[in-house]
Formats: sequence, C-alpha cells, structure tokens
Amino acid sequence: MLDVGSIRRDFPILQRKMDGKRIVYLDSTATTQKPESVINAIAEFYRNYNANVHRSVYKLGWEATDCYEQARKNVADFIGVKSEEIVFTRNTTESLNLLSYSLEGKLKKGDRILISSMEHHSNVLPWMRLEERGINLDYINLTPEGFLDIEDFKSKIKKETKIISITHQSNVLGTINDIDTLSKIAKENDSIFIVDGAQSIPHMPFKMINGIDYMAFSGHKMLGPLGIGVLYGKYENLSELPPFQRGGEMIKEVDFHKVEFEDPPIKFEAGTPNVEGAVGLSAAIDYLKKIGMENVRSHEKYLTRKALDSLSTLKNIQIYGPRDTEKRGGVISFNIRSEAIKRKIASGNIHLDGLLHSHDVASHLDESNVFVRSGHHCAQPLMKYLNIKGTARASFYIYNDIDDIEALVSGLEGIDVQ
Amino acid sequence: MYNDEIMDRYQNPYYFGKPERYSIVIDEASTSCGDKIILYIQEENGVIKQIKFEGDGCIISMVSTDLFCEKATGRNIEEIMRIDESDYVKNFPVEITPGRLNCALLPIRAFRRGVGRANIPGNLK
Repeated sequence: MLDVGSIRRDFPILQRKMDGKRIVYLDSTATTQKPESVINAIAEFYRNYNANVHRSVYKLGWEATDCYEQARKNVADFIGVKSEEIVFTRNTTESLNLLSYSLEGKLKKGDRILISSMEHHSNVLPWMRLEERGINLDYINLTPEGFLDIEDFKSKIKKETKIISITHQSNVLGTINDIDTLSKIAKENDSIFIVDGAQSIPHMPFKMINGIDYMAFSGHKMLGPLGIGVLYGKYENLSELPPFQRGGEMIKEVDFHKVEFEDPPIKFEAGTPNVEGAVGLSAAIDYLKKIGMENVRSHEKYLTRKALDSLSTLKNIQIYGPRDTEKRGGVISFNIRSEAIKRKIASGNIHLDGLLHSHDVASHLDESNVFVRSGHHCAQPLMKYLNIKGTARASFYIYNDIDDIEALVSGLEGIDVQ
Repeated sequence: MYNDEIMDRYQNPYYFGKPERYSIVIDEASTSCGDKIILYIQEENGVIKQIKFEGDGCIISMVSTDLFCEKATGRNIEEIMRIDESDYVKNFPVEITPGRLNCALLPIRAFRRGVGRANIPGNLK
C-alpha cells in the first residue's frame, strides 16, 4: 500500500485550500500534479546549469548538455531502450505528428492505416491527414464491454495496411490493450506498429518489446512538466526516417543547396530543445522509480475497484469501459441519467438521450472542490461509436486515496437523480 | 443542481420549437462539447418579430438560449448583435464560472455568426 499521506505532502498544489476546503484532484488523465522534486529540478537547472546545449565549447555548455543527455538516458532506462532511440518532442501529439510526416514518404495511394475506435484525437488526426493523399484509414471495432474486437482487428489487416497505431490504454474507457498480442499480429503482416503510451507509461511497469516500432508518451502525464514529450523509435527505423522539422541543432553539415542531417535522435530535434522539460521529466521518473511502478499500478487497481464498486451503488449511473481492474486502468467515465429533470419538450428534430450533460455534472462536483473532466475527452469518434455526446471522467494517480473517491460519490449523491 | 428558475426554464423552455414561419435559420451553432442549437428567426425590416430554437445541450446552454430568445424578441437585429458578452454573463440568473462561459455564450455567438452571414438589410452597417 502506498503511503498517500506522505506522497501528498510532496505535492505543493495539493496543500491548497479553495473556499477553505481541500481540493480533490481527479483529472490526472488530462495532466498530473508535480512533486516538489520536479519543481526543484527545473529551478536548479536554471539556477546552476542553464546554457544552450550540444554546440557549446565552454564548461557551462557541457554541463547543460550533460543535464539534457542524462535526462534522455533516464527516460531510455525507464522503458528499457537505448538513449539514442529517445527523441524529445513537445508531447504525444507532436510525437505522432512527427511519425505521420516522416513516414508519409513510405506510403503510396491505396495503402491503409489501421487505428482503433478508442483513440485520442492525437492518434486519429495525424493519420486522417493522409487520407487527402489517397491513403485509407480503417477503425477497429470494440466489444460491448469496451475491449478491442480482436477478430475485427484481424479482419481489417490487409496487405496494404502499412501502419497500425493503437493506444496502450484508453483515456476514456480505461481499457488496457494487449500490446504484446497486437504487435505479433501486426508483425505477421509486416506493418509498422505504433503505440500511443500516453496513458500507460505513467501508470504501469513497462519494458519495450520487439514488436513495437515506435511509441509516444508525454511528460506532463507522469508528474513531469508541460511541454516535454517522448518518441521512442527503434534505432534502425529512426536512421532511415527523414526529419520532421529542420533548422538548428539537427545537422552535421549545411552547404548552400545541400544538407547532411545529424544521426538520430538529434536529427528529429530541430531548434533549441526544451532542456528544462527534459530535466523535469527525468526528476519525475526518479520520483516514480522511488515509489515503484508495480506499486503505482496496484494502488490504482485498488482505487479503481473501490470507485467502480461505490459508483455502481448510485442509481441512474452509466459507467463505460471494462469492469475487470486487471484489464483496465484508473480512469472511469460515466454519465448520470435523470428522469427527474428531463426536458419537457416536444422534441421535434432533437434526440434526447435522458442523460445529464457531463458539464453540468462536472460543474456540480466543482462546487465541492471535486475536479473531474467532462466532454468528449478528445475522442469524438469514440463518443460517436458509443452514441453519446460526452462523459464525466474521474481518474486517479498516486496522490489519490479512498477519501477522494468518497468525495466523488457523495458529490454525485447530491445530484437529484432519483 | 441549479436554482429553481434555471431548472424550470431548462425543463419547460418558453421558446423551444420550430415555428411555421421564419426567414433566417442558424443551424451550424455547435461548440466543442457537441451542443447544438438551431435558431429560427422571423425578421422584418431589421426587427426580430419572432425567434425560437431547437437543440440539446447542457443546462446552462439551453437556458441561455431560451433567455436569449426572450431578450431578442421584438428588438432590432443590430441591437442584439451588439449585446455585451460580459454584461450578458453578469446578468445571468446563476453564476457562470470561467469554464462555462462558452455554454452561456452559445446563443449570442451563434446569432452573430449566423446573422453576420445572412444578408439582412440594416445589418452590420
């Protein structure tokens, strides 16, 4: 069991009171709070080590470069890969856009890209842009419980399917996809296999497997600062990929009409990089390693079980996603049905779903300092698939405990849902 | 959840429905949260003779649209185009937090976009 009381003391923002009451932060799927050690690491970098990286001859420049490259090594070790396979980006979205642009040259008209119906827009839109170039985008269906339909997955893999890009954990349903099995199926077809790890790397133990060609995740979702993301790519893949952006840092030699690019990962890091972000992310990884990713995962399983059990006792709640905590993470999407406050209108062209709007639910919880997300969670294809407009969503991390779940449930009890 | 005035209006909106006669219809109004409203306006010489709406969305956006229709009925289009957003929010019957501004302002913004596009005499001189 985690000592949540002691963890909370490491997070200055969780000491804040609003309207005299503590805050109940249940939106770590959107972004996590930052421990003192991360905040200090960033300040320490600026106090003692700041200089531009890679091209400096002087001592301070070496030290700044060292901070940056040590951070890269820490990220690489964390997921069991080599330093030169870690590209720093702004976030998961940029990592996946990098792939969309850099892999474009490998695709021809009629090729197919396969994603799932549970993807975040960051793993939809970079691929949808290629439809304009005659590439077809396919979506894997889900089972009623919210898992990927493996038979549908297999049936949608064609010989033209050059890229398969799938989330490791859904940011709405919480579903954890069996990346090992999916990667094997993808590799039988020689497809490039990409994993969106934004919701998995922060929350569970993970070591890279051979079937994954590329993986993207974000620092701010794992206690790190905003504006730093990661793209992992197998070195041989990164070597043959053209750069995404061009400019400072990323070259060996530039002539008037000719350029020789640096080797990976620098080839993909045009311009002065976010060194404070990398340093902060590295401190976040140190913090997570101290807790232990096994412990992070079991704490979240425990909270998710408790939350699912308590929420299920509420009348008129609709919970989305799998119920088995072995196969899902700590993010719970739900809606509240309400006959009592249904609109009494002759509906005309309007289809009424009888659900309270998720923004109204979130605003109601906000009044008691319970902070949950509401809306479509950047997953509108999934919302359309589920035939809903949005959900309210509570998500957990290491600083959450049973008292947070109690606050959520009692907040929801305050809504007139009978 | 909200006060009685809000809840009553949400459940029993006064201006809901599709009228038989209308000269302007604004139906592209949807926000990032998927809310949708359709405004039906009967306009004569720059005056809003009648305005009704259809739509589904959160309590704030639906109540706001109903209140907006009430406010706009019988007024000049020009006058309604110039409604000050912060005054509108200030006078709303329940406190609008920053996260809900888009919900409350949905009808005003839809009206401006739609009427701005429609070629109405006396509009946007």
